Amino acid sequence: MAKKISVYGLLTALCLVFGYLESLVSLSLIAPGIKLGLANGVALLLLAKKDWQGAFAVNLTRILLSTLLFGTPMQLLFSLSGGIGSLTVMAFLCRTEKFSLTGLSIAGGVVHNLFQLAAAVPLIGRGVLYYLPVLLVCGGISGGLIGFLATIIFKKIETNGKK
Amino acid sequence: MKKADFWLIAVVFAAALVCWGAFVLFGTGGATVTVKEKNETVYQGALHTDKTVTLSGNTVVIRDGKVSVSNATCRNQLCVHHRPIARKGETILCLPHQVAVLIE
Repeated sequence: MAKKISVYGLLTALCLVFGYLESLVSLSLIAPGIKLGLANGVALLLLAKKDWQGAFAVNLTRILLSTLLFGTPMQLLFSLSGGIGSLTVMAFLCRTEKFSLTGLSIAGGVVHNLFQLAAAVPLIGRGVLYYLPVLLVCGGISGGLIGFLATIIFKKIETNGKK
Repeated sequence: MKKADFWLIAVVFAAALVCWGAFVLFGTGGATVTVKEKNETVYQGALHTDKTVTLSGNTVVIRDGKVSVSNATCRNQLCVHHRPIARKGETILCLPHQVAVLIE
């Protein structure tokens, strides 16, 4: 248990660093507030380890801490809806065992964007739906990228870095 | 990558294509500009009517059938850097002030 908690703590810290790194690289020319989703890679690795509870715990802690440290209450709402939505879908798809890590990540990226957009509609207005196609494609691409990286890292972890 | 992955990718891109197609088909020739703050309409007018709308944190400029945000008091200035919009369905958002400029 103690080992688990320390690992989760480390992973949460890693997620926060990812969040900071992402804030340095602005992709906002594509759509406002768009991000790579590096922290999702951590959730993916936990899912790959069949530890979906850990994935939820780390993700929720990460969202609460990062908005507390750097964000606004509005962002908390967006992050929570995106984070919980995407993780639920990824955990469900993971259990079907029909998808690879990359597939999970693509679904996660797309669902994340869909949930954030859904949260933005009542807050900002229907006009945000204009970003729907862009967000679908971007979610897929960034999800695929992160999934690809997570696959490599997962293999390294499983073989203890050999090969 | 498994077979289901490719289906997933295909579905996502198909959905994006359909949405985009719908916007292009039904969204040409913008008519009305709506400026909303916290989901309340503060200005509505024709796209060809030149007008400057001053909000609490942003200034929206409608000129020559194009809409842009010339001024914002927030840190990120995303809306100011957004290219001017002129087509139906296009939007400029300001998340910090919850401002949306839409062409409908």
